[in-house]
Amino acid sequence: MIGHDVAAIKTEGLTKHYDDVKALIDLTVTVDQGEVFGFLGPNGAGKTTTIRTILDEIRPTSGLAWILGMDCHDQSVEIRHQLGYLPADLALYPNMTARSLLTYFANLRGGVDWTYVEELAERLDSDLDRRLEDLSSGNRQKVGLIQAFMNRPRLLVMDEPSAGLDPIMQRELQTMMREVAAEGRTVFLSSHALGEVQRVADRVGIIRAGRLVALETVADLRAKALRRIEFTFERPPDASMFNGVPGVRDVTADNRHLVVSFDGTMQALLAALHDGNRLIDISTEDADLDEIFLTYYRGDGAHRDPARSNERDRAEAEAVG
Amino acid sequence: MMLVEVFAKTLVDRWRAMTIGSMVLGLMFLGAMAAYRTIDISVYTSLPEAMLSMMNVPADADVASLAYGAVFTTYGALTLAGLAIAAGSAAIAGEERSGTIGLLLANPISRANVVMSKAASMALLTTFGAVILWVAGRVSPLILDVSTAGIHIEALILHLLINALFYGFLAWAIGAWTGRRGLAAGMSSAVMIIGLVAAGVLPLIKGWEDLARLFPWYYFAHSSPQLNGVDVGHLAVLTAGVVGFVAIGIVGVDRRDLRDRTAGVSLLDRVRANPLVQRLVGRRLGRAWVSSITVKTMSDHQILAIVVGAVMFLLMGLAMGPMYSAMSTELLEMADTLPEELLALVGGEDMSTPEGFYQAETFSMMAPIATIAIAAAMGGRALAGEEADRTMGLLLASPISRTRVVLEKTLAMTAMTVGVGAVIFAGVMGGSWISDLGMNAANVAATSALATLLGLLFGAVTLALSAATGRVALSVYTSVGLALALYLMNAFFPLSDQLAGWARWSPFYYYLTDNPLVAGMPWGHGAVLVALTVVPVLAAVALFNRRDLRQG
Repeated sequence: MIGHDVAAIKTEGLTKHYDDVKALIDLTVTVDQGEVFGFLGPNGAGKTTTIRTILDEIRPTSGLAWILGMDCHDQSVEIRHQLGYLPADLALYPNMTARSLLTYFANLRGGVDWTYVEELAERLDSDLDRRLEDLSSGNRQKVGLIQAFMNRPRLLVMDEPSAGLDPIMQRELQTMMREVAAEGRTVFLSSHALGEVQRVADRVGIIRAGRLVALETVADLRAKALRRIEFTFERPPDASMFNGVPGVRDVTADNRHLVVSFDGTMQALLAALHDGNRLIDISTEDADLDEIFLTYYRGDGAHRDPARSNERDRAEAEAVG
Repeated sequence: MMLVEVFAKTLVDRWRAMTIGSMVLGLMFLGAMAAYRTIDISVYTSLPEAMLSMMNVPADADVASLAYGAVFTTYGALTLAGLAIAAGSAAIAGEERSGTIGLLLANPISRANVVMSKAASMALLTTFGAVILWVAGRVSPLILDVSTAGIHIEALILHLLINALFYGFLAWAIGAWTGRRGLAAGMSSAVMIIGLVAAGVLPLIKGWEDLARLFPWYYFAHSSPQLNGVDVGHLAVLTAGVVGFVAIGIVGVDRRDLRDRTAGVSLLDRVRANPLVQRLVGRRLGRAWVSSITVKTMSDHQILAIVVGAVMFLLMGLAMGPMYSAMSTELLEMADTLPEELLALVGGEDMSTPEGFYQAETFSMMAPIATIAIAAAMGGRALAGEEADRTMGLLLASPISRTRVVLEKTLAMTAMTVGVGAVIFAGVMGGSWISDLGMNAANVAATSALATLLGLLFGAVTLALSAATGRVALSVYTSVGLALALYLMNAFFPLSDQLAGWARWSPFYYYLTDNPLVAGMPWGHGAVLVALTVVPVLAAVALFNRRDLRQG
């Protein structure tokens, strides 16, 4: 029996080169049991390469990896007894019904608790008796999710799991991931969407151009999260009203709109609103991953003081990318 | 109007198979001509004229006419037509299967334009293959210093080309009409193979001679253009067929819904999904299909197995008994008078005995084609197919080792090939029983078993290639090309004293050389085939274990 003290996933210097392409460079990371670990990075950063390497689909150029204390290559079959996996860009056997597909994979595992499968199907609103080729990509994704969850794995590895899901199902999936973690099991969630990872993960690793550039708790990341906040006023506002508010990076005025780049506390920003100009609307959006990266991290993963972020850093960062 | 881009891309996608297939054939032509050159062909002149015409050999046979007749008119025609079928069936149905058709047709081009561009590239590729054969046909006599006086090689190549285009366009039209690549390739191949058999056997039967005209292969097989020059009438029949197929294809592709990534959904799947069938068969059997990798893999290839099995059982098995009985007595008597050594020398079988007839019609070519077809198809798709369909990652997320995946897939391939072998046995015994030919069951079983082993051998080679590379087409084309070369090697090298020893390097040597239909199981030869099969399977396990999986 695997103890609860061993890491769910542990890698040391994991590196994968495809011919001359360095897809993954010197990844050292530890994912604890019982957490949802967000693996965040733009397209082509090396997320899928990492997953395929630790699951023994492809072999590392150098470095080591363990899952639940077992060597990813030598004990790959034992590992997969404890594993649930949802690949990126999911493909299923189109000529089967969802039920026969799930039966097939259940048989390969030596059986699963079928009442749990039905429960999952109900939660995800999935019709198991239709042929997979007749399902939309979102509905196929649900079948893939049921398949990943159905054996109550110790480790759940999911590569872009919300692809094709509508927002309600995305929420349901996030709830399901939290439940897995609450039971002491582990979720390794690969995603390019910052919002999704922030909502569900405990810790986040950010990967870019094959390198892990940051490893943070979501709380820390959130504190850094740069937001764009747009105020709409009744009359063209005074652009200087936010001067001196901590966390304000940039203010641009456009007729009745004021757009603020901001990473401080909301309280301070709202307190700065004054004069008789009526506020009509506030909208905020998360800065995208690239923006955060460029603002906070360099290629070596060292923390940067955001205030000193300037064009030179930007150029350096792009050289790394 | 033609779309240059679609035309060019299709050429780039497919030229390799065509080049390799034609080159193999060209080289084997050189080998066959070399073999014929070394034998004393005066034996032919001692044969009765009826026999010569049956073997498609002119009365004043010389080395060149024998070589062209033997290599090009059967193997050359089958290979070129087979390659045309592969290109034709992939034309538009292939894009639907891979799910790229939507993207292609998002461009401002009509469906008719796309299918016609694909047809043009298929025609050009086939012409290219024919040109390679033409070069081989012209160069080989120069190398070997053989006279080609009186041989109409250009006429022969033209007939080969038009014949291949007929089947290529047939496959293209079926693919355009249905969007099903497997159906297009399967139906066209069936039309070709059944026609080949019918055009060969029916004219031997008194009163049935004219029935052969119903089969398209007749208009190739009964022209002998290498001797008689271009047969305008026969070419006109085949060309009319091509024109008809073009019309069918253009109408067909415009009238229907395009399909989207419909890999592997077969008629049987639809039948099984039918609620009535489900009730009849019950959930139990439905679950049995997915009980293991082996069973699921077998179920994935059931259509091919059923088609191949049905052709072998009904046509090559059952029907051959009555055909033998119906053969004209003169032919039998004439064949009876021939000394057996002579027959062996000219590569013919003694068709006067039921064993000789079945060997010539069923076992010499069709049975290996059937077993190799099923085994190579399964060996190629077993591993590489799941990678191409991007399901291998999911499969290997289950707690099963790669070794077990390879072995279960091998088991499935073995079971299906053995099934086809058993059907061949049953068909031949059935034919023998119907016509009261009294063939020896043990000997028929031995020969069927050897055919099965031969199929498994090339299936295992395909499996090893698919394990090593993860590429379906590469694996299947390579091993089928290898099978063709080795077949021809065994067929022609024994004609020459100098080359005869080399025939032992072909696995086909260990199949019929010892006449198992008459003499029973040659256990040593069987053991050689088994050993040759085990090696690539072990290689497949090792190669698949050490490789990165492809991502589709």
